[in-house]
Amino acid sequence: MKINKIILSFISALALLLSTSVTSFAKVVGDKIILGSAISLTGKYSSNGVHTQNGYNMAVDRINSMGGVKVGGKTYKFEIIYYDDESNPKRAAQLAERLISQDGVEFMLGPYSSGLTKAIAPVTEKYGVPMVEANGASRSLFTKGYKYLFAVLAPANLYLDVAIDLAVEKNGGKPVKIAQAFEQDAFSQDVRLGILEAAERTGSKIIIDDKLPKELNDMAATLAKVKAVKPDVLVVSGHTKGALTAIRQIAEMKVDVPMLAMTHCDAAKLSKQHGKNSEYALCASQWHKTLTYKDKFFGDGMKYAADFEKEFKYDPPYQAAESSAALLVFKDAFERANSFDKKKVRDALAATNMQTFYGNIKFAPGGQNVDKPMVLFQVMCNADGSKCENKVVAPTKWASAKLIHPIPSWSER
Amino acid sequence: MNKNIILYAALLIFGLAAPFIFPAFKVQLSILCVLIVLALTWNIQGGEMGYNTFGNILFYGLGMYLCASVQVGMFFPLAEWTESGGEKTFVHTPTQFFQGMAMGLIVAAVIPTIVAGLIGYSILGLRGHYFAICTLGLGVAAGEISGGIEIIGAGQGFTTPPFPDVGSLEARGEFFYFLSFMAVVLTFITVKSIYSTRFKLILNAIRDNEDKAEAMGIQTMKYKIIGWMISAFFCGLAGGIMGGLVGYIDSTDVAFDGREMGVFMVLMAILGGKGTLWGPVIGATVFHIFKEGFWTFFLGWQYVALGVLIVVIVIYFPEGIMGWLREKYPERFGEVVDEADRKAQVELK
Repeated sequence: MKINKIILSFISALALLLSTSVTSFAKVVGDKIILGSAISLTGKYSSNGVHTQNGYNMAVDRINSMGGVKVGGKTYKFEIIYYDDESNPKRAAQLAERLISQDGVEFMLGPYSSGLTKAIAPVTEKYGVPMVEANGASRSLFTKGYKYLFAVLAPANLYLDVAIDLAVEKNGGKPVKIAQAFEQDAFSQDVRLGILEAAERTGSKIIIDDKLPKELNDMAATLAKVKAVKPDVLVVSGHTKGALTAIRQIAEMKVDVPMLAMTHCDAAKLSKQHGKNSEYALCASQWHKTLTYKDKFFGDGMKYAADFEKEFKYDPPYQAAESSAALLVFKDAFERANSFDKKKVRDALAATNMQTFYGNIKFAPGGQNVDKPMVLFQVMCNADGSKCENKVVAPTKWASAKLIHPIPSWSER
Repeated sequence: MNKNIILYAALLIFGLAAPFIFPAFKVQLSILCVLIVLALTWNIQGGEMGYNTFGNILFYGLGMYLCASVQVGMFFPLAEWTESGGEKTFVHTPTQFFQGMAMGLIVAAVIPTIVAGLIGYSILGLRGHYFAICTLGLGVAAGEISGGIEIIGAGQGFTTPPFPDVGSLEARGEFFYFLSFMAVVLTFITVKSIYSTRFKLILNAIRDNEDKAEAMGIQTMKYKIIGWMISAFFCGLAGGIMGGLVGYIDSTDVAFDGREMGVFMVLMAILGGKGTLWGPVIGATVFHIFKEGFWTFFLGWQYVALGVLIVVIVIYFPEGIMGWLREKYPERFGEVVDEADRKAQVELK
């Protein structure tokens, strides 16, 4: 049985390989604060993953070039270790483990999407590693009692319930008929919960309640039903692909509905990709460049958008803006903690109360940001449809345009 | 025989010591163990029996959901745990956690075995491509169905109970490592022992010519079902462990992950050499190291590299690593080669 020799030598080779490949960074090396993040660079969330990464990188460059982080009288610079989580929660959890136990990272930035954040949070919690995340909005993240999780964004159930209120208001205060279709993932299902609550509150009826598959490319069945039953509002949520699919097929099938409420319009670059077809879509957004929040690193939203466009050649979706804000929160917390002790940084994070270009940030005990309302914008085009823009229509405090309701039918457009 | 004992002892010691020698790699090592279990069990169908199944992921996912559900459901109302929006949080005491896990793993192994028996009875009559496509459908369907069942979290996913605080940060990693290592040992011993019986010969007979095997009086259906049930048992177990290890179950991305795990188990078995005992073990190990390596050093290119690996395997090692070794050094595999034969072969080439 010479085969044994082969297997034995194989195992020793493996052992050797493993023992030599331990590369350990520490949390703070020289003048660098090392943050870790698993990001969806491939897979179904890759476009949003890239928005997130661009947001992170932009803030790192900006903070580093504007004096860095001052802790204990010394100046430090941010650096981020990225891994590709392939849009897969299993991988994300493994990578979090790897960042912490192998790479020695002690401060984490969140991944893209609620599902992946849900997979990572138990790991960071176990090691007591503070994580500031900018792209996990599912409410279930904030009811688990996590102490080291901080989200700069508003929870997902608040995304579109305002749209239902608007529809009811436009309907003369009378309940409306709602058709809805949501992707089967943590985020979209939470948006659905928000709608259910709004429906109950306003006495509205849900007449279509469909689930859409992940990797969604077709929702013709739902739209056929919508055509038949004529609801007052159609709500669709399914990340970037959901938004693109909905607009493409609504235009193809000429579905007339008085109000179309969605998420991820700006991440999907709807107004650019589908132009006039996407007109009148009402979209939930965590941020819009016309909001008037300010900070000293990025100035205001308009300036952020201009700088972002210069660097990455596209208009920043809110996913990028909130990701940049996460770094500002970390910087602020490090300086207030004046230490790299995980516990102290965590406590400083919990006490955060600041304004950034992206909005006010103040964390509830559950970790969600309670100081920043959602906005709704509507895609509006000029007369010949050559240029389409997202204009904020609600809440009225920031509205730069008036909501167009009902949406003109396709025969009139 | 002596050498065999030395080998197994060395492996066992290596396995037991591994988490202490490489403390930072506990999670990867645990996953390696799960991968080996999946490859070993896939090989029972794909390698020995010649039935290329993509359906083993069904048992893996089923085990994952079952284990977590039992672990929660034994002590707390499951519906409240998984309620969308997650309004309630319960905390397992260490005793509850371990009791739940033990019970969960038993259920996670037994129920898929029964399911395999039932499904096997109805679809193992299919052969060749038809069987492969049918099982592919099983995994996809299970993913979509489970994504709609509210009590297991539906599209929201299912957060498995967090590991209880037992004083040490390393405890969780060690616990799951030894659990998965035990699963590997158990699977290996079972597979090895059934391969030394008539059962393996029957599986091989089915692979080589099922009609002839039937004509010889073998009840092929019975053996096919038993084989699949054995696979299901260990796949379910592996799934249960993996669920706890990952900490979050998603219907299509973690549990019924046919696109990744479902394909990987086939790939690993083929890479190592299907139809051999050690092939899947070696295949899984090489595959895992390869993938982890690319993951770290060639960020974003890992799937390209994987594609290249598959092409290389198919072209240069169609019989897998073990098959290639066997052809190259037949005497090391205990095969007697006649010198004249070898010369004749060389001349033929």
